[in-house]
Amino acid sequence: MRHVVFRLEAFRYALPLGAVREVVVAPERWTRVPRAPRVVRGVMNLRGRVVPVVDLRELLDAPRPAAGGPGRVVLLDRGRAELGLLVSDVDGVEPLELAGPPPPRASLVVKGLARLGVLPVTVLDPDALDAAVARAFTNG
Amino acid sequence: MAVTPPDSARYLALYVAEAAEHLEALGRDVVRFEQGATVELVDSMFRHAHSLKGMAATMALEGTEALAHRLEDLLERLRADVHRADATAADVVLQAVDVLFTQVRAAAEGRPLPDAGPVVGRLAALTASLSPGEGPSGAAPGEAQPAPPPAASSLGPEAPTPGRVAVRFHVSPGASQPAVRGFLAYKRLSTLGAVVGLEPALDELKAGRLPPRGIRLELETSAPEAAIVRTLRTVAGVELEAIGPAAAPAPAVATSAGPERVAPPTIRVRAELMDAFLEHAGELLLATARVRALSRGVPEAQRPPIDEALDRLHLLVKGLHDEVMRARMTPVTLITDRLPRAARDIARLRGRDVELVVSGDDVELDRALVDALAEPMMHLLRNAIDHGVEPAEHRRAAGKPPRGRVTVAVSRQRDRVVLEVRDDGRGIDVERLKALVSARGLASPEALRAMSEREALLLVCLPGLSTAADVTQVSGRGVGMDAVKRAVEHVGGTLELESRVGEGTTVRLSMPLTVAVVGLLLVEVAGETYGLPIANVCGVVEVSPGAPAPGQGAPLVAWGQGVVPVHELATLLELPSSQTPAKGSPFVVVEGERARLALAVDRLLGQHEVVLKALARPLDLVPGLAGVTILGDGQPVFILDVARLTPT
Repeated sequence: MRHVVFRLEAFRYALPLGAVREVVVAPERWTRVPRAPRVVRGVMNLRGRVVPVVDLRELLDAPRPAAGGPGRVVLLDRGRAELGLLVSDVDGVEPLELAGPPPPRASLVVKGLARLGVLPVTVLDPDALDAAVARAFTNG
Repeated sequence: MAVTPPDSARYLALYVAEAAEHLEALGRDVVRFEQGATVELVDSMFRHAHSLKGMAATMALEGTEALAHRLEDLLERLRADVHRADATAADVVLQAVDVLFTQVRAAAEGRPLPDAGPVVGRLAALTASLSPGEGPSGAAPGEAQPAPPPAASSLGPEAPTPGRVAVRFHVSPGASQPAVRGFLAYKRLSTLGAVVGLEPALDELKAGRLPPRGIRLELETSAPEAAIVRTLRTVAGVELEAIGPAAAPAPAVATSAGPERVAPPTIRVRAELMDAFLEHAGELLLATARVRALSRGVPEAQRPPIDEALDRLHLLVKGLHDEVMRARMTPVTLITDRLPRAARDIARLRGRDVELVVSGDDVELDRALVDALAEPMMHLLRNAIDHGVEPAEHRRAAGKPPRGRVTVAVSRQRDRVVLEVRDDGRGIDVERLKALVSARGLASPEALRAMSEREALLLVCLPGLSTAADVTQVSGRGVGMDAVKRAVEHVGGTLELESRVGEGTTVRLSMPLTVAVVGLLLVEVAGETYGLPIANVCGVVEVSPGAPAPGQGAPLVAWGQGVVPVHELATLLELPSSQTPAKGSPFVVVEGERARLALAVDRLLGQHEVVLKALARPLDLVPGLAGVTILGDGQPVFILDVARLTPT
């Protein structure tokens, strides 16, 4: 199955191609969403639409980067309401097969592990991502 | 009338809405049926009749069920032998649809169903005549002639000379399906000769855009006038106004009606399509502003032609936006039409004698506002009758007429629409209201003392208060007033109360005409820009707050005759406030949920008219946000819901 492969620093993650609408360069300036949960990086103006963007690092409890470029926003395809994921960079589209179950104590949004050549890739579950974001909002 | 339990009343509303839809669809089918009957078409008609029959049966409306059943019989017969469907059949079906409509209307109003005997008879007779044994009742559709009507007219001599005849007729005001009737009349007349003139045009006629001055048709025919009159009479619900040689110019009645009273022609558009139009027109406005902002980077020498092109673009886009907004305007009758019936029900239920007067229902509002106001208006009416107007014996004792009077007045005041619900009931006792608020600890005695009468009356909108039963007694208002206020403010409106003990209460809702474009005061706090709806802003103060009042944490700032508490906007929004507020930083005084408050901000950025965008999931879950917009520089900016900013 074809996946969009992207990175948080050196770690590789993937989402099924069908779950991704597009990838854009992250804006230089974010509009902060007041009173929003920590995982929300802010909103961005995507061709006139206001799209909330979640910092995938916060969602996965990954370490914050020392510094870096603006990053990329992976836009999930979820009907009319849109959601973006902020990542470090996008590698491309690759065929991937799940090679193993998620490691113990992994986040609920992890579907399993795959391999790209010798590199390990963590495959994410788009529906679980969506649910995790909704949960973050409703729990304040 | 029969007493129906409330549950059944709910189903009745559903029945009425659905039955009307089926009948409307059936009527539309009749038009196409006239142009050429097909099995599919008769099938569709049969399905509508069948659905109606089933619905009427569940509602125990035997009369409607029986009539729909007869109609079903006829359609079943026609389906088997579709080439025998003719003008007579269309007529009878249309008559049945009419009677069904009156029956549905009667059911809606709880009246007994009108008698359907004659039309049932006609349906049965036609069904019988179409039985396989019987001969054809008319020619096949291709060469169809209108059924020869009985010679009843003696209007004019039957001169067989060909010539032009002008016929003017109109669809009876009460008749249902005017479009169908108008079209049928045209269709029948066209069988007598060539139609050389038609006003309105055929498309308009089919779309049901019937001018109040009637339909004018010019016919080149050798048929005598009497035959034309007879043919026109075969269409029920169509009345002849004038007939004569076509030499005469078009009747000049049009202008005497007065231009503003002429009903404008209309088409129906799906509501979601209207929303999409507006969204796109709004996006265009934003995109234009963005291009203008970008053009500032162009060297001065090249600017003039770009500016000129942008001005033109802006004008066009603004014009388009205005037109879309106008197209969304919906008559307020969508709300007010429901009120008399509701008033009767509430009054009967609560044992009140109440007269309801509705005025100004020709005012129009944005569709979204009409939707948003329906429930609050119903609530205010309920409050006025249930809690405002006293029982007749109390009124008599107080020297008032025993019958209470509730007035609903809608008026346009500049760029606002004002909706007033006024009763002549017991009124609100402000002192007792304050005592109650104080007893519940919802406001400090000092704050209550400092309150103006206007502010004190608004205490009935306090969330903790308005549901309490004892307040209902005291206030003559109360139930759900917080919800009403919130709903009104959510779409940019304001709520005001006026009341005098023993004389009655007035609730006044002042609404913007449209929701999509809102006036904002832009403020900057902690490096972020936010918009405060102008409708919620009372004013701006640029002084440093005084020392905290003894026993109170929040600093106060002088405002008008009194003081208002200061809140740091950065704190309310949970923003990292890097610096302590600078001396002399401005305060924006806003209308909060409970009382006015002053929001401390870093900077005022000025007023802007913006296109409001609704918040999509999950942003709509964030309390305190009313919407979002995109400024000219492309930056999204949140619009704050002032009433929900302060912790409750």
